[in-house]
Amino acid sequence: MTATQATEAAVEAADENAVFSVRNLWKVFGPKADRIPGSEHASLPPAELREATGCTAAVRDVSFDVRKGEVFVVMGLSGSGKSTLVRCLTRLIEPTSGTLAIDGEDVLAMDRSRLRELRRHRAAMVFQHFGLLPHRTVLDNVAYGLEIQGLSKAERRAKAAELVEKVGLAGLEDRRPSQLSGGQQQRVGLARALAVDPSVLLFDEPFSALDPLIRREMQDEVVRLHREEGRTMVFITHDLSEALRLGTRIALMRDGGIVQLGTPEEIVGSPADDYVREFVRDVPREQVLTVATAMRPALAGESERGPAVRPDATVYEAIEAVSRSGDPAARVMDGGRLVGVVDQACLLDVVAGTTDPGTATAPDAPDGGPREVTV
Amino acid sequence: MATAQATPVRPAQAGARRGPLAALRERPAAAKLLLLALAAVILVPLVHSRWGGGIWPDALTADLSGPLGSVTDWIVSNRDNHPLFLYFFGHISNAVVLSVRAVYLVLLALGWAGVTVLAAAVAWRVAGIRLALTAAVSFLACGLLGMWVPTMQTLALMVVAVLASVVLGLLLGLAAGLSDRTFRVLRPVLDTMQVLPAFAYLLPVVLIFGIGVPGAVLATVVYAAPPMARLTALGLRGADGGVMEAVASLGATGRQRLLTARLPLARKELLLGLNQTIMMALSMAVIASVIGAGGLGDRVYQALSSVDVGAALAAGIPIVLLAVVLDRTTEAAGRRIGAEPTGPAVLRGWRGWTLAAVATAAVALVGRLTDGRVWPEDVTVAIAGPVNTAKDWMVDHLYTGVPVVGGTADLASHFTSGVLNPLRSGLTGLPWWSVLLIVAALAWTIGTWRTAATAVLAMAAIGVLGVWEPSMDTLSQVLAAVAVTLVLGFGIAIGAARSERLERLLRPVLDVFQTMPQFVYLIPVVALFGVGRAPAAAAAVVYALPAVVRITTQGLRGVDPAAMECARSLGATTGQQLRQVQLPLARPSLLLAVNQAVVLVLAVVIIGGLVGSGALGYEVVLGLAQGDLATGLVAGAAIVCLGLMLDRVTQPTARRQRQES
Repeated sequence: MTATQATEAAVEAADENAVFSVRNLWKVFGPKADRIPGSEHASLPPAELREATGCTAAVRDVSFDVRKGEVFVVMGLSGSGKSTLVRCLTRLIEPTSGTLAIDGEDVLAMDRSRLRELRRHRAAMVFQHFGLLPHRTVLDNVAYGLEIQGLSKAERRAKAAELVEKVGLAGLEDRRPSQLSGGQQQRVGLARALAVDPSVLLFDEPFSALDPLIRREMQDEVVRLHREEGRTMVFITHDLSEALRLGTRIALMRDGGIVQLGTPEEIVGSPADDYVREFVRDVPREQVLTVATAMRPALAGESERGPAVRPDATVYEAIEAVSRSGDPAARVMDGGRLVGVVDQACLLDVVAGTTDPGTATAPDAPDGGPREVTV
Repeated sequence: MATAQATPVRPAQAGARRGPLAALRERPAAAKLLLLALAAVILVPLVHSRWGGGIWPDALTADLSGPLGSVTDWIVSNRDNHPLFLYFFGHISNAVVLSVRAVYLVLLALGWAGVTVLAAAVAWRVAGIRLALTAAVSFLACGLLGMWVPTMQTLALMVVAVLASVVLGLLLGLAAGLSDRTFRVLRPVLDTMQVLPAFAYLLPVVLIFGIGVPGAVLATVVYAAPPMARLTALGLRGADGGVMEAVASLGATGRQRLLTARLPLARKELLLGLNQTIMMALSMAVIASVIGAGGLGDRVYQALSSVDVGAALAAGIPIVLLAVVLDRTTEAAGRRIGAEPTGPAVLRGWRGWTLAAVATAAVALVGRLTDGRVWPEDVTVAIAGPVNTAKDWMVDHLYTGVPVVGGTADLASHFTSGVLNPLRSGLTGLPWWSVLLIVAALAWTIGTWRTAATAVLAMAAIGVLGVWEPSMDTLSQVLAAVAVTLVLGFGIAIGAARSERLERLLRPVLDVFQTMPQFVYLIPVVALFGVGRAPAAAAAVVYALPAVVRITTQGLRGVDPAAMECARSLGATTGQQLRQVQLPLARPSLLLAVNQAVVLVLAVVIIGGLVGSGALGYEVVLGLAQGDLATGLVAGAAIVCLGLMLDRVTQPTARRQRQES
């Protein structure tokens, strides 16, 4: 890493609440991979890079913070480097260069035993293909992480039984993974990760292999878990609606780099470039954008009429409220204070996509929790 | 089907457009042959003018009998006092003798009832009630045939050899499974060891350990350990990457990863390895009767050398029963892995095993008290007499003069004079350099330049060893038998692939045939055809046929159903489907079937030396019988070279690539 990059990183590293703090992270596969970051090849597009050096940059110059208690979604199409990125966080894949800290502690400087401690206690992962041990029962699979830590059989079984119950698999403790449905298997994977009580949960496309209905159910499960425990989560997905549903913030990746990082509303409302715009084109904007971005200042006489909505209500909710009441506009009330109104024109503009709310700064979701996009 | 038809067209068009060089690049086989032809045009006149055609020139042979003779003399004279033998091989030899003896005594102490109950109990625990019955009936049958003592001798040898093979195989497999470099070194060695005929292993161990039980056990271990090592390594390396990653993500140490994930994940392969090791060990333990293994194999060997088919059959049946019981039991154990435990809860886990142990002990004790340890003499069925009578009848009525089909002996002599002899004289008549060229061309078009180089070098080594003529003799038998095997095998397989019913009928037959040790096949062919080269070839065909039929059927059935559906939807007849879709798509399986046929046929043709097939196998037997180890060793080395050459010539590129990846 060069000196300038280091200073940049120091300048950027600010967030006190960051669980993971990632700066200028690179992962390059191929011969002499460590020479690519910082070289003249670093900015080449993937095909040209492979032509010139034989290397593939799976993660290129990525920087972000994962804040405590948020659901940080990394989203991108297959081959965009998102799975590699999440594996770099616990060094299941060794990053090529950059800095990476968990709770302020340098992960890349950890020795083997320290790294094992990190994996055992601080970050647990849920995998797309579950990664269950086929020769063990559900209970012993859930208890596996604790067994690795050296807990006694009675202790770990008691803890595992608790978690099996929590993820809704009570009664299936003695089954083998092969006797479970995909959704049930992933619940086992989830319970196994939760059993070690990690400070961060990492999800690598956990629901991609599941049927749509089951997927929906599992997403609700994650939302519920997050609401109950407030655990920090890093969630990898290629499914935009999943990202919008779960993410407090979303990092959109393409060719190894982050194209845009922001709240779902920012991503949908003000795409950073044409790629993102194309990506979110089919998203029903009224279900993501809040009235805060769509409202206009109240005119005289408008403060008394119309239904009241909160600023973080979706436009969809406002439309519903307006059409129910029969009034031409809804009042946006923050606490007891009138902050603006949304009339039918404002709402239709959002639906039609003719507004450019890029200038409006959307407030972060107040609870920092996952958002229910649909109501 | 569209692709199947389109592929040959495209390169031709491209070639026409881009000139002859590009055309050659599109057709690698043609390019290779052209290159080879060029080399031949330059080299052949030179070589021919210098050493001439015909069989391998004397000028290019190295006479090894002198040096080998002095080595064997040295070993024989120093075997009793040189420290290497006293302190190393001597200890191994003693340990082997002691452990075989100990196992044998335990088996005798258990008595026939105890052993039968033990076998049934173990089969019940690992494979279920049906196999327990099979085991019990099989052991009782061995006793009934009057073969109890030889069966126990073979079993004792097997127990020791299998244990040693499994331990050795596991250690090698662990090393190769965990270290890439060890794997790269070991893999080709293990692969090659699996294609070599059992006979090739006999001479070196006899050289060091002499004739007797230690040599037999060690030859068996060397022969049987490779599958265990190979499958252990493959199982460990084939562990589901997702699971291993999940385990690592939870912070498991290297040891924890191995013990709690990698090894348990490889259980199927480990059990398959155990199964193969046991079957190979049985096969070798029987063949090793030639070097003093005793037991059932020895009975067959003695009987065959006096063409006493009845006695050979009486000893051969227990071998087959033993093979079936061992194979089915280990196979069923592999299938039951991961399944829910069945049966009443009282009998699961350790309780079941305790019950099995108690039952065995009780029966053994009762046997001891009633003095029933040795199988009662008067409760045997002597089948040798009736069988020999039947055989005599066959000799009188079936050997010659059967209307239309002719007699079996006639058939055999026709095969010898009509196929084997012309083939042999053809091969020996070919200039030696042309044999090398043919080998190179075949191996290179089917495989890579590496396989071709190995094949040519192996063939040349045969010439250098000075056994060109007997090797050509063996080769002619192999080629004839392989041709018959492939014609029959492909024919049956095409039928079985098209008719479910035929396949269902064939399956149990193939199962039994694939379990039997090579040696056993010699018994019926001697009964039918007498002795000579034709019976040996017939035994080889029967031995290799099941594998060919099975691989080909699976290949034809495994053809992408979408492609077949497409062909049918375009209105292809069954013949067109077969020719244009199934056969081209099943090409890898067909090549594998050819490879297996060659390897298996060679193994039996060599053993055929025991029933008068002559050539290399006979030289090994002769070397053993006369204590002329130098001759035997040279023949053994030639067998190794021939095996190597035949395997490499038929080794498809795809297989090599898969091995390397």
